[in-house]
Amino acid sequence: MTDAVLKARSVAGPARARRSAAVDAVAVLFIVAAAAFLYFFFPGSLALFTRMIAIMLLALSLDLVTGFAGIATLGHAALFGAGAYAAGILASKFGLTDPFAMLGIGAVAGALAGTVSSLVILRGRGLGQLVLSIAIVQLAHEAANKLSAWTGGSDGLSGIVPAPVFGLFRFDLWGRTAFILAVAILLVAFVVLRVIVRSPFGMLCRGIKQDPIRVSAMGAPVYGTLVKLYAIAGAVAGLGGALSAIATKVVGLDSLSFTLSAEALVMLVLGGVGKLFGALLGTFVFIWFEHLVSAINPFHWLTIVGAMLIAVVLFEPKGLTGALEALWKRARGGEG
Amino acid sequence: MQTILSIAVDAFAYGMVLFVISIGLSVTMGLMKVVNLAHGAFAMMGGYLAAFATHQLGVPYGVAIVVAVAGTVLAAVPLERWLYRRIYGAPELTQVLMTIGVTFVIIGVANYVMGPSLKTIPLPAALEGPVDIGFRSIAAHKLFAVATGLIVAGALWVLIERTAFGVKLRASVDNAAMAGALGVRTKIVYAVSFAAAVGLAALGGVVGAQLLPIEPHYALRYMVTFLVVVSVGGAGSIPGALLACLLLGAVETTGRYLMPEFGEFFFYLAVIAIVCLFPHGLLGRAG
Amino acid sequence: MKKLALLTLALAMSSGVAVADTIKIGVVGPFSGPAALQGRNFQAGIDAWLALHGNKIGNNTIEIVYRDLPAADPAKSAAVTRDLIVGEGVQYLAGYYYTPDAMAAAPILVEGNVPMVVFNAATSAIMNASPYVVRTSFTTWQTSTPMASVARERGIKKAITVVTDYGPGVDAESAFVKGFKDAGGEIVASVRMPMNTNDFSPIMQRIKDSGAEAVFAFLPSGPATLGFMKSFAENGLRKAGVTLLAPGDLTQESDLPALRDSALGTLTTFHYAVSHDSQENKAFVEAASKAIGDPANLSFPAVGAYDGMYVISKMIEATGGKQDAKAAVEAVKGLSWTSPRGPVTINPQNRHITQNIYLREVAEDNGKYINKEIRTFEKQGDPGWKAP
Repeated sequence: MTDAVLKARSVAGPARARRSAAVDAVAVLFIVAAAAFLYFFFPGSLALFTRMIAIMLLALSLDLVTGFAGIATLGHAALFGAGAYAAGILASKFGLTDPFAMLGIGAVAGALAGTVSSLVILRGRGLGQLVLSIAIVQLAHEAANKLSAWTGGSDGLSGIVPAPVFGLFRFDLWGRTAFILAVAILLVAFVVLRVIVRSPFGMLCRGIKQDPIRVSAMGAPVYGTLVKLYAIAGAVAGLGGALSAIATKVVGLDSLSFTLSAEALVMLVLGGVGKLFGALLGTFVFIWFEHLVSAINPFHWLTIVGAMLIAVVLFEPKGLTGALEALWKRARGGEG
Repeated sequence: MQTILSIAVDAFAYGMVLFVISIGLSVTMGLMKVVNLAHGAFAMMGGYLAAFATHQLGVPYGVAIVVAVAGTVLAAVPLERWLYRRIYGAPELTQVLMTIGVTFVIIGVANYVMGPSLKTIPLPAALEGPVDIGFRSIAAHKLFAVATGLIVAGALWVLIERTAFGVKLRASVDNAAMAGALGVRTKIVYAVSFAAAVGLAALGGVVGAQLLPIEPHYALRYMVTFLVVVSVGGAGSIPGALLACLLLGAVETTGRYLMPEFGEFFFYLAVIAIVCLFPHGLLGRAG
Repeated sequence: MKKLALLTLALAMSSGVAVADTIKIGVVGPFSGPAALQGRNFQAGIDAWLALHGNKIGNNTIEIVYRDLPAADPAKSAAVTRDLIVGEGVQYLAGYYYTPDAMAAAPILVEGNVPMVVFNAATSAIMNASPYVVRTSFTTWQTSTPMASVARERGIKKAITVVTDYGPGVDAESAFVKGFKDAGGEIVASVRMPMNTNDFSPIMQRIKDSGAEAVFAFLPSGPATLGFMKSFAENGLRKAGVTLLAPGDLTQESDLPALRDSALGTLTTFHYAVSHDSQENKAFVEAASKAIGDPANLSFPAVGAYDGMYVISKMIEATGGKQDAKAAVEAVKGLSWTSPRGPVTINPQNRHITQNIYLREVAEDNGKYINKEIRTFEKQGDPGWKAP
């Protein structure tokens, strides 16, 4: 196709590919082990973890555009909300309650929303881009508020009753079904994204992040590539939104809000940008920490969360994955 | 005709209030290259200090403004020394994380110390009540905000474009190492600029408190508004910020009058249109 | 932390009898964030009830577990609620400030065998979301409807409605427009303002241009009300003789110290005023003021919480402390008592509270601003509720 791609391919030699596959396998095993641990030791909080996974999908999606293509956005929840509302409307207004149908439409709606918003967001640079993304999420929020006949407006879209998974496993009070479904989706999304990120397409995106002018000089389509990436990111975020609609049974305007967008960005940066795993780690740590301190003191927990964010910047400016990598290197260095 | 004129006056006044509140952010974001999401938190701090000074200490409005600005700057000095200095030149996202953290802490502390209720800053008799401007009346405090905005805009422009300090500041931002080598004490330049930006935030918080009332959530509630007007103007450009505030103020005010139910659409569609036409903001410099 | 809680739970379960005594009530509300003040009022209402009645009901000791839900966030609400039911083992759920949050919790109640007492969320449809929901607050329809007849009786023929553009605002608009038209009035315009409106001058211009004699306004309680009321006075509408009518959200007591003179004379209809003159209210206000710290912060959500606690106590009495949501809800259907707000009844049909709605005027009383009750509309149900 292009020089950039060929170059990317030659860099990612077979040995390297094998090693990445091994890393993937470890990551998958780790996620499964963590999920199993949570399932057995915190059975009362599975709903919390399900919500976490939905937001992890949003953070993963955000990492795709921010970490791998360098697009700054504070409006990413628009894609998440598109998926949530699409799934919710399908179930509550059209009676199509199969969870996989809901997830499918969520992903499609997210991809569409991603494509449309990329057409706008890619027109800006730097701060301008940030503001365009804010404008998009605010417009989406306002539109959902106005279309209350379809979305329930500020009262939320209720009446979503997802059918049992495979017709066998209904969504129970403890949230076990929803949790297992969520973990499965997360694994699939994570592995697929890892593959995409390593593919020539992913390499091209990284190249664009570093130097868009050079990439376009090499003859690769910058704009088209980014739109495609945004569509993929939209599908992932939409999947998260649909998952949230299935697990919660209500979709609210918050799923399309600036607040959620900003929170997702904070979680991503906390975990480490451009590493996919950082999105998972950051989301987990942020929500879990918030849950913990807000349960201890529901009135003044925000201060502690703020202090944690400051501490991370002071001591680990590269985010939590940066800290883990440093530890890992030190440990290896110690052995050798 | 009278209605159009009347709306124009409202739009102008609102735009100037926006300007007073957000200009400090234009300084940090454009000149110091720090995405300071805690700008609203400093504005809120100023508002609280002024409310405290007028209610508890019983000082007059003018003194309260001075107390608010001075107090907020004082509070910000250690923050600059220990926190912000660490993120000058850091990636934008790191700055976002840090300044959101600062915002959360300030909100938490405000909620704890001042309580969650609305705080007001009583106006002196001269600024209370409407003033007749011929064809209609307008709140005196809005005129005061307009005057403050014009003075601030003028002073800042002179400071940045016409004084030695302005030259040093621009040099430090463009190339800190080179400026340092030429004898500019960049640390001090940065500290002073940061103090000025925070002082402006506090001033805006007090002067704008009639439209954006002071309560703990202030710091987050108006974050989007501040970010949008500054970026649309082109961060770091004083005339740009002024233009953006007036333009967006006009769009919002007219939208609210003509079709209030679609007011938000007007505002954000205008934002999208402007940024698409001027990717670096109205008067922003590329890069 | 969590593990420790689980461990104690397991230990507690094995020792059986000793624990059956402690009944946990999970309270979900906005204890931080933009509506932190309202959450604080939930807590004050609960604390006032505990102070006046103790934490023992029969042999059972009640324990309150607070969970913060700062904004309308159904996903978080669902997660928090499940955590309370299966993790903390609460027997009762209470609180819920925003409608979507209550909506997200409702589908879990039957399976969880837990009744939910809504302290605030004011949309009529919540009652249809689950048979185990009981509400001790109000609905926007309920508080807004009587205002229409007040306007007509005061000789107002032309009115304009101005509401914040979201669910409750639309409810308030519909309620007033329906009542006003039925009574023979004319609505000259209906304006819906975006949520993020900071400068209300253009809206005031609209009101001026409409030629209405009165404006019916709804804004969520909080900072926006201040800008609205100030604007109303500054733009000369009060001087021009336009009457400002609103449900009580616009002049909640905790906002009055900030609104001051700009609110004077505003007519509102609402279910509760802190100044309500009765023995019950005096006791309540005293206890709740102590609980909230600064008495100026006391506002209507506190009374919803206080009465909610009464309802829960009756549920516990009726079930003898056993977890039986169905019996608990049955027991309070038709329950009547004298609340700090006046005589109230739980409507057995929709489990929503039937209560007096008062017409009040903002007045000055010994340097304090109060909502002074000047007229009573007795036994008002929820006109917005439709049988499912």
